[in-house]
Amino acid sequence: MKNAMGVELSESERSLVECYQGLVRVLKDGKDLAPFERRNALKAVAALWQVVNGLDLDPGQLYEIGA
Amino acid sequence: MQESPYWNPRHETMPRDQIEALQVRKLKNLVAWTEARVPWQAKRLKAAGVSAESITSLKDLQRIPMMTRDEWIQAQLEDPPFGPLLAAPQEAAIRYHLTSGTTGRIPLQVLDSMKDWEWIAEMWCYGFWGFGVRPRDIVFFAFSYGTFVGFWGAHYASEKIGCLVLPGGNMTTEARVKQILTMKATVVCSTPTYALRMAQEAKTMGVDLAGSAVKRLILSGEPAGSIPATKRLIEEEWGAKAADTAGMTEVGTIMMFECERQPGGTHIIEDHYIEEVVDPETGEPVGYGELGERLITSFGRGFIPVLRYRTRDLVVRVPASGCTCGRSFDLYDGGIRGRVDDMKLVRGTNVYPRAVESIVREFKEIDEFRIHLYTADGRQDEIEVLVEIPNREGVNADRTVDELAKALSQAHEGLRFGCKRVENGSLPRFELKAKRLQDDRIVIGTAGERRVTA
Repeated sequence: MKNAMGVELSESERSLVECYQGLVRVLKDGKDLAPFERRNALKAVAALWQVVNGLDLDPGQLYEIGA
Repeated sequence: MQESPYWNPRHETMPRDQIEALQVRKLKNLVAWTEARVPWQAKRLKAAGVSAESITSLKDLQRIPMMTRDEWIQAQLEDPPFGPLLAAPQEAAIRYHLTSGTTGRIPLQVLDSMKDWEWIAEMWCYGFWGFGVRPRDIVFFAFSYGTFVGFWGAHYASEKIGCLVLPGGNMTTEARVKQILTMKATVVCSTPTYALRMAQEAKTMGVDLAGSAVKRLILSGEPAGSIPATKRLIEEEWGAKAADTAGMTEVGTIMMFECERQPGGTHIIEDHYIEEVVDPETGEPVGYGELGERLITSFGRGFIPVLRYRTRDLVVRVPASGCTCGRSFDLYDGGIRGRVDDMKLVRGTNVYPRAVESIVREFKEIDEFRIHLYTADGRQDEIEVLVEIPNREGVNADRTVDELAKALSQAHEGLRFGCKRVENGSLPRFELKAKRLQDDRIVIGTAGERRVTA
């Protein structure tokens, strides 16, 4: 996996990006999440956005999922 | 693995051409987001012939219209409370903040989402980590935790880093000093003015702050954090290193920080902002080493896109090589040097409050001061500096007042300063941004020209 600057990400970095992508997917599609699941996942995704942004992957905005 | 001295090592040490490439890419994204989500801004961009596709280099930035505080306020007044500046619905926000209002003007109001709020803390992490704050630290905040954004982001940055946070809101100065000592705080965050205020209080309490556990002070909210004499005084009083930072409500957080090497300036967080320096009169760019007004473009808060905002802050930008820390982020030498509208003309001589403060702080026996401008005989501008000098052993207050008047005059082309000692405790104390200049002149400059505002 390469970032927008063409830099190859490390294995650990890739894992973090996959976590973020998985969380965004669940928050977009998961209609059956309990409040504690959704709100804690949103906090986690807001924090992981900083990682993905800092890794130059242009994560865009998250307002549509509530973060 | 060895601990990194940088919060984001890849970005903070990136070669300049890569920083610029990153900024161009982010600028393109920001313009696209703004065009799509903020019709008020989109109209301004379109009128200037700017579109996301048309941005190919940093030179294209100059085609984007500058935005002033007055325009922002006007937009708020026409469409209260936030103006037509929001890129997301209010329901997506978790935070509301406004400007400090220390100048008596209408405050700017802003919103942040969960991700934006996290980003605000992220920017402070650059500064805290860069100045050597680590998870083992105990951080005390001398901050009142209100709607002014101030140190809010720094509080969350400290939590993010893993520090033990002592939120010192709603406390007397004495109670704060006591808690700093009893909890063995290693880092203290405050305005430069309040750092000195706490040092004075500690003296009154008979406490030796320099012998405390405090090793670092993180200063913000006033330009004084980079005035050498003020900083030196703070460091001596606390027996600790002090770092300057600067932020603004318009972007929600800091844009610059001083690293552990203390190069006499602040690094610009260039992977999250584009900072330009222009002539405040013409708006034309000025080069490295020249004094000018900073403009900011922020890639952070998506809720309210900020493009080429005129800050009115005066700065001198120098290359990153001015610091030995290894960061490739350029510096503002001397931090924020003042405000474009700070300068006062007194009998033909320019007087900057920062320059006056830098001289006053050379006299350690002065606890507090005020710059007072007034009109004598209904026609002549006068300037006086009122000082508080507590009675201490070995201090000759009359001599201090005379020497101060002489030093101020020498630094201002012979301009006469009427320095006066006033009763201890009679001058105002400040926790947030200090306001030490009082302009009571009824006539400014030439005879007959009336003062418009207080």
